[in-house]
Amino acid sequence: VVDGAVYQNRWGNVQVEATFDASGSLVAVDAIQTPDDRSKSVWINDQAVPRLDAEALQVQSADIHTVSGATYTSTDYRRSLQSAIDAARDAQLTNLA
Amino acid sequence: VPTPTGYHHVEDVMGMAISIDVHDDVTGTPGLDEVITWLHHVDATFSPYRLDSAVSRLGLGELTLDEVDTEVAEVLIACERLRVETGGAFDAFSVPAPNGSHLDPSGYVKGWAVQRAADLLEAAGLRDLCINAGGDIVVRGGPRPDPAWRVGLRSPSDPNRVVAVIEATGGLAVATSATYERGAHIVDPRTGQPAGSGLASLTVLGADLGVVDAYATAAFVVGDGGLDWVADRPDVDGVAIDWEGHLQVTASCGAVPGGGRWRLLRPADLDMAPSRRGQEHGETRGRHP
Repeated sequence: VVDGAVYQNRWGNVQVEATFDASGSLVAVDAIQTPDDRSKSVWINDQAVPRLDAEALQVQSADIHTVSGATYTSTDYRRSLQSAIDAARDAQLTNLA
Repeated sequence: VPTPTGYHHVEDVMGMAISIDVHDDVTGTPGLDEVITWLHHVDATFSPYRLDSAVSRLGLGELTLDEVDTEVAEVLIACERLRVETGGAFDAFSVPAPNGSHLDPSGYVKGWAVQRAADLLEAAGLRDLCINAGGDIVVRGGPRPDPAWRVGLRSPSDPNRVVAVIEATGGLAVATSATYERGAHIVDPRTGQPAGSGLASLTVLGADLGVVDAYATAAFVVGDGGLDWVADRPDVDGVAIDWEGHLQVTASCGAVPGGGRWRLLRPADLDMAPSRRGQEHGETRGRHP
């Protein structure tokens, strides 16, 4: 793992970390934030970023493990996206058994 | 296709469905009994709905601080610290509670309890786990065989959609404060928008779920400057979503104390996730000689 130089973008200071395998081939590049020099929050929707609603995932195609949102009660849970994800996980584990 | 491992359980406690998802390759359900016992113990001790809970009796003057367990005092001290830190935007001591008193630390207790539940699972030898308590989340390790946890942030306008994804490895706590009915909150007379900013939801990311839950509550109440307030806190970051699904962020990626790493993805990026590409093409990830 090799850490690159720190540069400034609109989110503040960013550093790129490159990971190489044993033969020296580049296998991953990750942006890591330098924690002690923070900028204020920014809106990230502008001409360069498409409107997000149009791209929002539907539950059928959601390649996510869990969902964060306003606190819901155990009654609300039955109708929630989280319960659908949980059911899919249960089905996976049941098929395994 | 890699074989799924681990176990999954949903426990109905503290008025919520708490989803406990373990991905370690284990037999049985190590740690689960301890976690369930712990969560019910927390409910019995801290619930403002139960008149016989220590917190209700404390709030109603039937007990003094000297007479309650140290864990109750520990929670109240944390709540007082958060009240001061948030300028009163998070306040466990002056909001009317269901038991008729003005003591309701629930806004901290839930996250605190879930954080400890994750610690209990780790103490049972587990490392790849996710606990979702009514929308507030702790992840540890990774969701094997996938390399990283992907936490969707709910769309304000559609409960079945997500507008952003937090991809996390290591340990991360994620809490969201939100209102999903337009105008459900007080209208700001200057703008005609819901009080503060028109934000629909505000998510805080950090190492400790009790703290980020309280921060999310406070920042959402603050409204307009709420996310900047989050940006000024050490070791936490935030994502706000407005009614159109636009995102406001303090950072697009970050690291949290304890080794957790995260980055923000838009849902469209998911199609490029290596695990999905590999599965669709029947490939093994990585380089071949």
